[in-house]
Amino acid sequence: MRSGGTGPASSFRALLQVDGVAVRYGGVRALEPTTFTVEEGSLTLILGPNGAGKTSLLKALAGAVVPRSGRVLLNGEDITRLPAFKRVRHGISLVPEGRGRLPTLSVRDNLILGWSSAPEKRRGAFQAELVRVFDLFPILRERMDQDCSTLSGGEMQMLAIARGLLARPIVLLLDEPSLGLAPMATARVYEVLAKLNAGGLAMVLVEQKAVPMPARRETTIVLHNGCVRFHEPRRPTTKELAALYLGERSAA
Amino acid sequence: MKQAKVRPIEIAVLLLIALICLAAALGGSRLAIYNLTIIALYATVVISLNILLGFAGQASFAQTTFMAIGGYGLAILATRYGINPWLAIAVALALSILLALVIGKPLLRLRGHYLSMGTVALALGTASFANASSFTNGGWGITGIPSLTIGDLSFRNPAAFLILAWSLCGLSLLAYHLLGNSHIGRAWRALSTRQDISATLGIDVGHYKLMALLIAAAMASLAGSFYVAFTRFVGPDLYDISVVINLMFMLFVGGLRSTVGPIVGASFIILVPQAVAGFERYQNLAFFALLLVVILVRPAGLFGRARGGGALERLMPGWLARLQGDPR
Repeated sequence: MRSGGTGPASSFRALLQVDGVAVRYGGVRALEPTTFTVEEGSLTLILGPNGAGKTSLLKALAGAVVPRSGRVLLNGEDITRLPAFKRVRHGISLVPEGRGRLPTLSVRDNLILGWSSAPEKRRGAFQAELVRVFDLFPILRERMDQDCSTLSGGEMQMLAIARGLLARPIVLLLDEPSLGLAPMATARVYEVLAKLNAGGLAMVLVEQKAVPMPARRETTIVLHNGCVRFHEPRRPTTKELAALYLGERSAA
Repeated sequence: MKQAKVRPIEIAVLLLIALICLAAALGGSRLAIYNLTIIALYATVVISLNILLGFAGQASFAQTTFMAIGGYGLAILATRYGINPWLAIAVALALSILLALVIGKPLLRLRGHYLSMGTVALALGTASFANASSFTNGGWGITGIPSLTIGDLSFRNPAAFLILAWSLCGLSLLAYHLLGNSHIGRAWRALSTRQDISATLGIDVGHYKLMALLIAAAMASLAGSFYVAFTRFVGPDLYDISVVINLMFMLFVGGLRSTVGPIVGASFIILVPQAVAGFERYQNLAFFALLLVVILVRPAGLFGRARGGGALERLMPGWLARLQGDPR
């Protein structure tokens, strides 16, 4: 297995180092020891079928589960044991699977929660930060005082991303942002994500399928049954992906 | 930042209640004053539940435990040790908060039905202890609790106590409203449905849940003390499991997360049984039938904010539905 962060791209600073992180739930192995590095401005794509361990990996990064073994370093600082609510202040923000709808909270409430989870020294005034978010997702301006349970799937995904961005992350984690979205909404979401990534925001993006999102520097990891089956600074071809998903060991 | 709206109908209801109380204080019958005072005190406990369950989503059935500490604390300290009743109320309040602190961490680790069962056990234990222990004088309870006074003003006068009880209720309502619109309220509402996502939004879930429990315990303790100061009697029946169920009825009939809901719910559960007293043997049956109708027509409560109406709501005339306010 190739270790991330070596090779020609290593002139870029490593933001997040994942070092042999393994996750278990009781006796069930969800993720075998996994190692990779997220560099500044890069896109790390985590692909794999259902039950491959993708969400477990993201949860270990966000602090929602404590890894069985291994370490997570952010800017060289060990955050493996840091609880989720503190981790966001260190710069790791998660856009959760299923978009993280919080009934009884308005769009504004959601955005305030995101904003207030940002470290004070990195965030601007709420109104100023809002302008940035409305620039990316103008529809949210019209929805400000609606309960977020009235939003469409696409709108809620945009809100979840906006909420995650307001936390001023160093690394943004995204768990299947296209899940259950109409093609139009998916395209819009990926357009914005590509723009943010091009602007220098490092991302770890989990998806089941190939992602229609260009990136200047990227790493792809394919998981299957909790094991890394592919780890390259490029995307697998359709043929490779099919072989990997069917569980065959790829020669790639 | 923008405040959550209190709907016009709710403001109207609050004004109406204030007028009724004023009229009763000036020249109401003894029964009217008694009923209104009891409503205010139960409503205060229901407001505390509206924080704990409505905002923070913690289905706790143990509010009677804190009412009992408030009630027995006042009774025992004032009658046995001759402590000034106001001070006794304050000591009982401190004890309630202390208990909430001690049991809060382990109890709030429980979720959903497990939290409910744990707190039901606590409520049952409270009533059994009060019934069995000589410290609480068992089933006989404690009488002769001194009246509250401020200077020359004695709250032995029911009209004066009516004002006192509604002051407590009003302050609790104000606290509920201010908390609900603060960052604390936002954090509570977030964690009430998704603890995992709340944590990734920087919310210390355990801390905020404990805060909700402490505030609710304080309100229930004060209401419990005032109840006993008003009736000047305390006994285990006041904290029976049926009281726990009535508190839940009050909350849901009034409407979860509604500002006036707790007062309307408490009024319904206290006044309707009296109103249907004419049914004699079938009084309880008539009461529960009415309760069932309310739940069918307004599953989110009379002033609830849930979307969509009940099975029977479609049969209601449009103006009545509009009067209840747009649910959103």
